[in-house]
Amino acid sequence: MKTIRIPVAMTLLLFVAACVTINVYFPAEAAQKAADRIIMDVYGEQPGKTDAPLEPQSRIHHNEMSFPVHALLNWFISPAHAEADISVNTPAIQQLQASMAKRHKQLAPYYKSGAVGMTRDGEVTLRDQKLVPLQERNTIKSLISKEDDDRGALYREIARANGHPEWEPEIRAIFAKRWISNAPAGWWYMNTQGAWVQK
Amino acid sequence: MMLPWRRVRVALLLAPGLLVMTALPGFAVDLVKLRLGTIAGAGWSAQAVTLQLNLLDDRHAALLLQAQRVALPDGFGELSAITLSCARAQFTTTAVSCAEGILKTQSTLLGQQHIQLTFRYQLDSGRIDTALRGIHAYDGTLALRARLSDTRWQIDATGTALSLPAVTRQLVATGIALPVVAGSAGLDVTAQLSGVSSQLQEADVAARLLAEEVSDAAGSIAAENLDVSLHATVKAIATGMRVVLDLSGRQGALYIDPVYVEMPPQPLQINARFDWSSAGQQLLLHSFSYRHPGSVLVEGHGLFSPAADVPIRDLQLELRQANFPSLYDTYLRPWLYGSMLADLDTAGELSGAFSWEQGKLGRVSLDPVNLTVNDREGRFGLNAVNGRVRWSDTTVPARSELAWSSGSVFQVALGATDLVIDAGHDYARLAQPVAIPVLDGVLQVADFQLQPGADAAWRWQFDGLLEPVSLSQLSLALGWPELAGKLSGVIPDVRYDNGDLEVGGVLLVRAFEGEVTLRNLKLQQPFGLVPRLQVDARADNIDLETLTRTFSFGRIEGRLDGRIDGLQLESWRPVAFDAVFATPEDDNSRHRISQKAVDNISSIGGGGVGGALSRSFLRFFKDFPYDRLGIRCRLERGICDMGGVAAAPEGYYLVKGRLLPPRLDVIGYADRVNWDTLIAQIMAVTARQEVRVE
Repeated sequence: MKTIRIPVAMTLLLFVAACVTINVYFPAEAAQKAADRIIMDVYGEQPGKTDAPLEPQSRIHHNEMSFPVHALLNWFISPAHAEADISVNTPAIQQLQASMAKRHKQLAPYYKSGAVGMTRDGEVTLRDQKLVPLQERNTIKSLISKEDDDRGALYREIARANGHPEWEPEIRAIFAKRWISNAPAGWWYMNTQGAWVQK
Repeated sequence: MMLPWRRVRVALLLAPGLLVMTALPGFAVDLVKLRLGTIAGAGWSAQAVTLQLNLLDDRHAALLLQAQRVALPDGFGELSAITLSCARAQFTTTAVSCAEGILKTQSTLLGQQHIQLTFRYQLDSGRIDTALRGIHAYDGTLALRARLSDTRWQIDATGTALSLPAVTRQLVATGIALPVVAGSAGLDVTAQLSGVSSQLQEADVAARLLAEEVSDAAGSIAAENLDVSLHATVKAIATGMRVVLDLSGRQGALYIDPVYVEMPPQPLQINARFDWSSAGQQLLLHSFSYRHPGSVLVEGHGLFSPAADVPIRDLQLELRQANFPSLYDTYLRPWLYGSMLADLDTAGELSGAFSWEQGKLGRVSLDPVNLTVNDREGRFGLNAVNGRVRWSDTTVPARSELAWSSGSVFQVALGATDLVIDAGHDYARLAQPVAIPVLDGVLQVADFQLQPGADAAWRWQFDGLLEPVSLSQLSLALGWPELAGKLSGVIPDVRYDNGDLEVGGVLLVRAFEGEVTLRNLKLQQPFGLVPRLQVDARADNIDLETLTRTFSFGRIEGRLDGRIDGLQLESWRPVAFDAVFATPEDDNSRHRISQKAVDNISSIGGGGVGGALSRSFLRFFKDFPYDRLGIRCRLERGICDMGGVAAAPEGYYLVKGRLLPPRLDVIGYADRVNWDTLIAQIMAVTARQEVRVE
């Protein structure tokens, strides 16, 4: 009797544990890597500083391999170790990324001057409009508004593309940190206390 | 301007009586010295006041009035170490006067002062005339002339090269709600003020501001090279004050967050005439005009209660003239960031009127004249919009008429259209059906209705009928490969709600000698950042020869049926669908497939059969008969789950040959293909013009 009961209990335990945790685990590390790839592209920096984007062909390979492995991991070992990949390869994300990369060339001088700073929630804001000549103020406001719209949409689309719209705040939080980490020295950002700091 | 006057008055009020006393005949006195201690009046007090008179002859005396400290009314600070001296004051039976006096004092507000002073006190009438020159104030100088008789007073003040930042700091300190600015800006002021006791009767103020560069602390108000003149007159009337303001900006630029105005070559002018009733706390605006030549002319009149919850009680605003693009670029665009209208190229003119009654916007009229509006991202545009837009907040709808000569939606050209619209409180509807030319076809719209939906977003709906539009024009407009055929449809229920567009009914595409029907068409945020489209499509009896010719794919003869279920486009690119295309089961047309088509199919499949084909004996055949062909792709998350027309050993038949030779089968083995790679391969194949096997 005893020899039977233990494996049954363990299986049940494993099953319950697996079921409970499958959908709540947010792949922070993968999200950070994905964020870095997008941010480096937007900043227009040479890949290589962080991980280079994967080739499409190798992505298939990757997906083909990871799918069954991932499923197995979810079911048979503690899902805490089963880190999903973060997909950022959808038309919407690519389009948003391209639009931000294009806009970045216009925004960069304002980051450098300190007129525009990076906020705690993964957006940008007009930190000190006195650093912007009067005739450029509306241009920069328009740029900031569009950039923040794109960023909001980007976080939403990444969460959506990975089948977890509820991940948006986590994705935004990771991006918020990575925009700052990947930024060159001299740019301004808001620290966790809400104060402006020059990197 | 009141400040120096008050300071003078302290001295003047003290001096005369005492002087008179000492000058009375019969007293042989050479020196009079009086300690007056503290004296005070309404709002002011002076401490440790002493007066000394040194008689020079029977008509003249040296006068010295001193006080340790004078407290002035709120906002004017304090004076200390006050010395008023006149080396030769003249005493006559009718007057006391001083032609060359000096007033020295330390002001908490204006710092150390050394002021040249003249005064004359009329003994019989009590009239005082005084002039002060060389008052150092606000980094500039101030001169005052004052006349005081009985309770009437008059002051003329001239300020030269006053610093605007210093003036604003001072005005804010006195409790006036103004922004404090920093930078470099000079102000020249002349003012004539008159009144009775503490009541201002009339004021006439002219000021000219030359602002090289000023800004408030937040940068939300700023100016560069600004040259502005102000003329204001104020007159006391029975109920309060009547004010006339004229302001004109000649050059430079002004930024009042979020509006940036560059002064036009002809001056920008603001005029206002209003009565302020202090008892009723009401502002009756008799007339107002804002004239920005080349941009906008607004005139108006109204009644305001600034302290009330709804400050605008009644207001009539006439938009006499508005010129685009200036009106849009300067005054409208800064408010539209983040909206669909944030980036427009505009041209044309507009006039109109807005009317608030009892605190509510009650009527609007707008008359565009050749107004052109084009989205800079090419999403939409309308050219030469003319007509009259009317809206009123009443139960009786107001009729609007609008027409445009041409337009576009996503580069699809729209033709000249006339609209007749009835609009009321929160709705608008088409008064009569409208036909909108779309490329070479027509979209008939009937029963259009616009209403606010939940959470204040707009929703509209209409019944539509699309008369045939040629696919070749449509495909070119959308940047697709040119297609042949016609698009038409009965779309009985088109609904738009908060950015989502749903099309009921069926759209029919007659193309490639067959029919494609589109159902369940939904568009989410078509003008937004991430447009999404969903549709189910079905293709019947497509002629493969026409299709393959269109796409230079290599000739295939036969018919094709198919369906695409759950097609989802994101940013106009497919992200999901379940598609099957195959030779119809009962098809008895001629089935032939060319060498080139076989090559292309196989190279898309990635099998590399093509090369093998041209190297084998099969290269001697120009084309091959086939039994059936077909392809299946279920796209999800960038991966296409592939299949063919039938299962084959270890794969699937893309082309299943006839039993009779030359028999050729094309078998696909890859069951999961990256969609982007697949598209790249198809693009490469259709772009390749040369034929590898003849």
